[in-house]
Amino acid sequence: MSIRFIDAGLQTSVQDLGRTGMMRYGVSQGGAADPLAARLGNLLLGNPPHNPVLEVTLIGPRLEFQCDISLVVTGARFTLTLDGESVENDQVIQARRGSVLNFGQLLSGTRAYIAFAGQMALTRIFDSFSTHLQSGFGGCGGQPLKKGDLIRFEETRTVADRQLREEHRLRYTGHPRLRVVAGAEETLFSGETLERFYTQAFRVTPQSNRMGIRLTGEPLHCAARTQIISSGLCPGTIQVPPDGDPIIAFVEGQTIGGYPRIAHVISADQHLLGQLKANDRISFEKVSLARAHEILAGKSALLNQLTAEYSCHSASD
Amino acid sequence: MKAAFSIVTNGDSALDIRFDAEPSEALSRHITALAQAIEAQQWQGVRELIPAYQCLTVCYDPLLCDSPQLSARLEILANRHPEVSASKSDQSRLIRIPVCYAPEFAPDMQAVSAHTGLSAEQIIARHTAPRYLVHMLGFTPGFLYLGGLDPLLHCPRKATPELRVPAGSVGIGGSQTGIYPQATPGGWQIIGRTPVALFRPGHNRPFVAEPLDRIEFYPIDSEAFERFDPDTFSTRPQEPAA
Repeated sequence: MSIRFIDAGLQTSVQDLGRTGMMRYGVSQGGAADPLAARLGNLLLGNPPHNPVLEVTLIGPRLEFQCDISLVVTGARFTLTLDGESVENDQVIQARRGSVLNFGQLLSGTRAYIAFAGQMALTRIFDSFSTHLQSGFGGCGGQPLKKGDLIRFEETRTVADRQLREEHRLRYTGHPRLRVVAGAEETLFSGETLERFYTQAFRVTPQSNRMGIRLTGEPLHCAARTQIISSGLCPGTIQVPPDGDPIIAFVEGQTIGGYPRIAHVISADQHLLGQLKANDRISFEKVSLARAHEILAGKSALLNQLTAEYSCHSASD
Repeated sequence: MKAAFSIVTNGDSALDIRFDAEPSEALSRHITALAQAIEAQQWQGVRELIPAYQCLTVCYDPLLCDSPQLSARLEILANRHPEVSASKSDQSRLIRIPVCYAPEFAPDMQAVSAHTGLSAEQIIARHTAPRYLVHMLGFTPGFLYLGGLDPLLHCPRKATPELRVPAGSVGIGGSQTGIYPQATPGGWQIIGRTPVALFRPGHNRPFVAEPLDRIEFYPIDSEAFERFDPDTFSTRPQEPAA
């Protein structure tokens, strides 16, 4: 029971929802860059939310199945085929022994997720299967998958055909407006600089990765950068280094940061960061802390509702 | 220790408890004690506690805990100025880390020598003399923030960071000294290398040290470097002569 990588794609890795409680040792949370997309795939298959999935980045793999297994592709849209027949995101795909799933052209977004109705035979490190690409551990030997690699499954299942309803499918525009709350050092920036931050569209640069999303635009200058107290750096935090180009800390970011923090992408919108690629344009809209928490509660309630809805379906299959 | 502090929001899912005092051993002990005290409360939704020189970051799940309430609770706890528990003080260890300062591992020894006016021997003597305090871990997995570098060894970072510094490299950056746990880009002046792995994921002891532990460096030659056994943390005996 395994899948074989005929081609691995640009950066395909095993991810789940990451690690908690290890930041004090310098280990960032990691996990799926777009955890919402990853969860939707598991949800459709009746898997627990942290079942490991494959994260596909920009160029997808070509996979051969050596067992019958149901799977779901979510997140970024590619031209997808199973044995040459077109298949779609957000619905159960039934692979048979010998089937080949091919990722063709990228249509929208950056990262797709492949969830499987089964359990990969991998070792947990710090209670997670996630590949920490910056530090080289977890997943399959701490590395992205390579051509010829096999992933073995401990058990596989097939589930009935099922799909996400149209209104629950995620779409990626390449120019999202991300909601933020004020950063811990917002007051160190002048009114003019803050105005510049909230009114321009920043370009995502090619140096962006799971560690950080690097932006460029009209530079932001900070009045007093000498007096910053280093502290815990969480995903979503937007730091401004001396060159004035902001960096959004991402899932594999450093755990301690010392640059002034102008703003913080709200938790509810962080999944959109996983779908950014070079030359996308993003802008920021400020909300209050209370509003940020309300939006998160709203998204979480929707996810719970979907989980209930699709698990009902699964019980009646 | 009585330490003035303020609580600041750090994004929508973390609070920073910032202390007014300058970094010191006393402040690191206080921050460690406070982290222990918070942990002991077992508050639902507290996900991460990240100590730094002058700050303790408390990450929370906004779905499981209310930010103003958490902030109020943290304020009460921080005002009680907790002490490091006896068990933690007892656990504070001295960890001796071998460093090979041989030229093949010390590409920037000459630069440090030129900057400090000290010979390589003097640099090694001054680098191995102190018992450094582990203030915290962080930045990358297993990286130790050490306090106690001899002021005569302070040396500016490189203007242009190296693209790849090998794992185990021991360097000086400004007033800090430390070890690169992984091969990464880096701007510190490299004066040696340790065979100790600072981060061993999957092992029962994945990190070499905890905050408040002491680190002492001791010099080894290239041969001992090759024979170092990371499992026993000692140099393997030489093979008996045939």
